[in-house]
Amino acid sequence: MIGYLITGLGIGAGFALVGSGLVVIYRVTRVVNFAQGALAVLAAMLTASLLSAGLPHGVAETLGVLAGAAAGLLTGVLAIGRPGTAPGASLIVTLGLGLLAYAVEILIWGDQPRSFPGLGGAIDVAGARVQVHYLLIVAVALPVFAALALFFARTDLGKALSACASNPYAARVVGIDVRRMGLLSFALGGALGGLAGVLTMPVQQVSFDSDVALIVNGFAAAVLGGLTRPGVALAGGLLLGVAQTVVAGYGGGAYRLEVALVVLLTVMIAQAVRTPPAPEAAG
Amino acid sequence: MRTGWIAAGLLALAVPVLLPERHLAVYVLLALTATVAVGVSMLMGYAGQVSLGQASFYAIGAYAAGLLAVHGWPPLLGLMAAPLAAAAAALLVGAPLLRLRGHHLAFATLAVQLILLGLLSRGEWAGGAIGLQGIPRFSLGGVEVRADRGYAYLALAVLAAVMLVYRNVVVSRVGRALRAAATGEAAAAACGVPVGRYRLAVFALSAAFAGLAGGVYAFYLGYLSPGSFPVLLSIEFVVMAAVGGLGTVAGPLVGATVITLLVQALTLLGTQPGMPGYAPAVLSYAVYGLVLVVAVLYLPRGIVPSIRRS
Repeated sequence: MIGYLITGLGIGAGFALVGSGLVVIYRVTRVVNFAQGALAVLAAMLTASLLSAGLPHGVAETLGVLAGAAAGLLTGVLAIGRPGTAPGASLIVTLGLGLLAYAVEILIWGDQPRSFPGLGGAIDVAGARVQVHYLLIVAVALPVFAALALFFARTDLGKALSACASNPYAARVVGIDVRRMGLLSFALGGALGGLAGVLTMPVQQVSFDSDVALIVNGFAAAVLGGLTRPGVALAGGLLLGVAQTVVAGYGGGAYRLEVALVVLLTVMIAQAVRTPPAPEAAG
Repeated sequence: MRTGWIAAGLLALAVPVLLPERHLAVYVLLALTATVAVGVSMLMGYAGQVSLGQASFYAIGAYAAGLLAVHGWPPLLGLMAAPLAAAAAALLVGAPLLRLRGHHLAFATLAVQLILLGLLSRGEWAGGAIGLQGIPRFSLGGVEVRADRGYAYLALAVLAAVMLVYRNVVVSRVGRALRAAATGEAAAAACGVPVGRYRLAVFALSAAFAGLAGGVYAFYLGYLSPGSFPVLLSIEFVVMAAVGGLGTVAGPLVGATVITLLVQALTLLGTQPGMPGYAPAVLSYAVYGLVLVVAVLYLPRGIVPSIRRS
């Protein structure tokens, strides 16, 4: 059981990172970035190539995360770069970019799943064998979330980012460049997505269409906190990871994605029932 | 306007005769995807709902028709059951789901499709991951539809019927009420429009369109598997409806035609000798992605409304 717990926390931290990327972007721009899973896949694939080209661990991963940030920025430019693009239209644009990413990924890396070695070995934790890499994922994700929380709560830039979403007009009045903040959030979201991909690739093979599972799990994690609270996304991701691992461990290995989906639907419907429909524009 | 429709109708009737039999598969599939896209256009254009899971209803219709036919029911009954099964499923999942809006609904419909695919690929009764095989050909009054030409006309008839229903819904009381609800939900509700019930009705109707197309698909291919209904297919329907123009009757038809022909041309290019094996997949993903991005950014209202305005 301890083994499932730690493995689940490791997987869940990956979901939480994807989810936090969604949260950061949504918080600032009110856009749900459908290409978030593709950014993770892109970063992971690139890291695998860099490692096989002989770059040392650490350097390759960093470059992968940076590439995720760059791809995120590019997504942002296309999705919100034109003034007056409605959030609904931006969602569709990110969906299109996700498809475009498929073409790029197959072209460069082929359509077979890939992986690369992470931290090897397994250790005994309270009598259960756990792959060390899962501990690494948790060990990296937790400080990232702490930094993210501090960033939004304590820094001027973080507060400026939050201001853009809660009242774009007022933010502009006090001199915040809303568009630049939006782009920044896309880059940050891309980096978080890239980090998720790079961290989880050694324990879960990644192929060009892995992004569907990543985005669904990430969205499920993020939606718990109404898409605006990174801390809740972390809790949601961890819970989801543990739930999936336990379900998989007790015989339902094939039903892992379904667990996330049912959680997602239940949470969203419960939230919608509790709060009356917000005066949100269609789309 | 009317002459345009007559010309398009005559062209649609003539093409199956003029086209060699071996090229008709594209025509049949085009008509079927256009049928589903009509439903998506209605759903997105009139109810303001993005469905990223429309292929689930296509699949439900196909499996309903296929399963009945495999178990010896007359094909006509199977074809009639297809839209009913899809609409029933839509009512069932739509009642809770349609409380959601915008991206929440988009993800929810995607989730429903993934769950359905999971169930189908593990369901023994549906043939599992191997699929449902041995679906008999469509027959009516003892006459079996064997040739692709027959299916071309069957698909065309289905498309025409669906477009007629769409047009009548648009000009009806319900259509006007929905348009009002899409622009100002509270105002429409205050005027006595049962917004929730109408939304559910449109959701079910668009599912029925998809289910009907799925029924024809089942008889045409004679074989169904969960792999025939990927998430990408749902996204294709959205691309076609959005590119053609949401909320118009001609839009989904134009969108489906433009994109199908474009992808077909590129597939032809991708399967040329000397091209790598992955070329067709890369090209079609690139087309869907690019067309979607460009259309949303530069033709936000779609091809048909843009032409009509200029």
